[in-house]
Amino acid sequence: MPEPLLVVEDLSIDYEVGAGTFHAVKEVSFRIDPGRVVGIVGETGCGKSTLAHAIPRLLPEPPARIPSGKILFRGMDILKVPKWKLPLVRGTGISMIFQEPINSLNPAFRVFDQLAEAVRIRRLRETGKSPGLAPAMEGFDYSKRKVPKPGDVLAKPVLPSVPEGRKLAPAVDRQALRGDALEYLRLVRINDPETILGLYPHELSGGMRQRIMIAMALSERPSLLIADEPTSALDITIQAQVLTLMKELIEEIRTSILFISHDLGVIAEMADDVGVMYAGHLVEFGPVAEVYTQPRHPYTKALLRANPRQYKGDGPLPSLPGSVPNLSRLPPGCTFHPRCALARPECREPPGPRLEPVSGSPGHRTACYFSEEVATLP
Amino acid sequence: MGRSRGDLIVFVGKRLLTLLPVLLGVVTITFIFTHLAVPNPCNVWSGPRATQSTIQQCIVNNDLDKPIFNQYASYLGKLVVGEWGASPRGVPVLPSILAAFPQTLELVLAALVLMVVIGIPLGVIAASNSGRWLDHIVRTFYLSGWATPTYLAAAVLSIAVGPLLGLPRNGAFTSTVPPFPQPFHMSVLDALVALNFSGVVDAIAHLILPASALAFVNMGIATRMTRGSMLEVLPMDYVKTARMKGISDFFVLYKHALRNSLISTVTVIGTTMGGILSTLVVIEEIFLWPGLGSYAYEAITKYNFNGTIGAVIFFAIGVVVANLIADFVYGVLDPRVEWR
Repeated sequence: MPEPLLVVEDLSIDYEVGAGTFHAVKEVSFRIDPGRVVGIVGETGCGKSTLAHAIPRLLPEPPARIPSGKILFRGMDILKVPKWKLPLVRGTGISMIFQEPINSLNPAFRVFDQLAEAVRIRRLRETGKSPGLAPAMEGFDYSKRKVPKPGDVLAKPVLPSVPEGRKLAPAVDRQALRGDALEYLRLVRINDPETILGLYPHELSGGMRQRIMIAMALSERPSLLIADEPTSALDITIQAQVLTLMKELIEEIRTSILFISHDLGVIAEMADDVGVMYAGHLVEFGPVAEVYTQPRHPYTKALLRANPRQYKGDGPLPSLPGSVPNLSRLPPGCTFHPRCALARPECREPPGPRLEPVSGSPGHRTACYFSEEVATLP
Repeated sequence: MGRSRGDLIVFVGKRLLTLLPVLLGVVTITFIFTHLAVPNPCNVWSGPRATQSTIQQCIVNNDLDKPIFNQYASYLGKLVVGEWGASPRGVPVLPSILAAFPQTLELVLAALVLMVVIGIPLGVIAASNSGRWLDHIVRTFYLSGWATPTYLAAAVLSIAVGPLLGLPRNGAFTSTVPPFPQPFHMSVLDALVALNFSGVVDAIAHLILPASALAFVNMGIATRMTRGSMLEVLPMDYVKTARMKGISDFFVLYKHALRNSLISTVTVIGTTMGGILSTLVVIEEIFLWPGLGSYAYEAITKYNFNGTIGAVIFFAIGVVVANLIADFVYGVLDPRVEWR
């Protein structure tokens, strides 16, 4: 069993706003092993984006509040890292791609400046010239760990080969930055990267910008890449291109990825493991093949059943009765019980079901008392 | 239209051409107002003990017996060829203004530097601490500047703060400092050029109080605008992108976020130039600053029509050029802007 790269334990996130406290994420636990791609799927408002932003502590606090839980990244609890040290974890440790490429590149700077900034930070940290996650964070001694170390993903990346001489060059000069930037633009299959480097974001298409975002995130060689719905804002053909690219990059780079999406098909395509979220709770987690073929939670089952691709022309699309509960007044016990066909009186009693391993399939966990009966649902 | 140098030249040229109708407008309006408000200025110009014949002589000399339209036409004709006339006492207008205007420019630039160096970072601090006590302190500071009448701010600085800090309160330089030539009529620059460093220190000391007064009452707009646009920019994804690169908070705020917020701040600073010039008159009077504001004040109170119109022309040029510069800086800051 490899040392996990990221362990999220009982993480809860609230939003304190005028109207009350919204429990956006409630007692979520999961782990990401080095080199794995973990997908989180769920409908709009289920807390998956909040979860993604909470891991690198990107949520504005307040209004967000993290009352309990642990985020262990490479063994250190990110929730205990002081605020001013967070930049040292970001970038080379955790990098992120956002939903809307229109807004995610700074309109005032050329592509080169933005890309070079990321490359420069990584180079300075690699050479130990500036503090940063890889060598300098306290509380985690990599040398004493047994192999495989979580840090191996960072230390031995299968990124495009950098010439030995340049790798050792101590000075971070402009030419070297340019070389690296070009390399990463080529990595994301951008034609004519020399020209692209001199352009401003507004001169590029959405798909282009998202590729540059991906290049920028990867150029830091992060141990963990968080992709928060990276294709949702793109139109469908570009979406397919970017997904294909990401899939190819996953094969090439084998960095760990947390992939957030509302699209079951995309997750099936990209991820090794999948977590299903409903109303802030992680209701099921397991290997993609397992979860998709033998869902052990009624919500997952209903979600899969609602996939329109399976229904071509015969009758109305299947739907789930009821609606998502208000996050400030969650139903007691299992949050899904008001809409569940399997609901029994004990489902209403707090504290509700927790994620438990499913017998007979390792790594597969579900938060349902009656997971055995899910298969009998239509 | 694009962003090439040619486009920029065309843009600047076009904007400078719009200056002509603006100038014609202000000259016309000022001319009409001065001549209608004071139909017979010769009574004043000739002094209290003037005889009827001297007054008559004065009226004839100044064409005041002709219809106002004829007066206007002949005045405009002289204005265009550079004959700006003289004050009633015979001091030519244009040289006086050319000596006073740089002094004002120096004062305004000093105030602008204060507004930018203090006002904008205050806005950033307020925005990054929005809703917390630091935000409230900053708001109290800029709102009190905004709400303070110019004369009050200037008087408090002159009477209380000046003596407390031992700063000079009057004029642009001390006459006891070894004199230096004044080719630019800007004390700091002149002293620098003359390599007279005690003169530089002296000139800067003289600048501090009036420039602070000017900056204090006008800073609010820069701080508030910066705070507002920072609050708009901070939730943007590209700020998150910058954070996720591992950049320290300082550079996220002052490089990635502020660069985009400045676009609107610069525009607002450009448009407040008119306001700055109007507060300038009061401040120059209180601090006895030998600038255009004092000159305009004196010209108006002494029925010096030629001087009044001349000062107004320079004020108008100042406002238009300030806006042009603001638009230029806007274009430099925002690469999406095309010169048009």
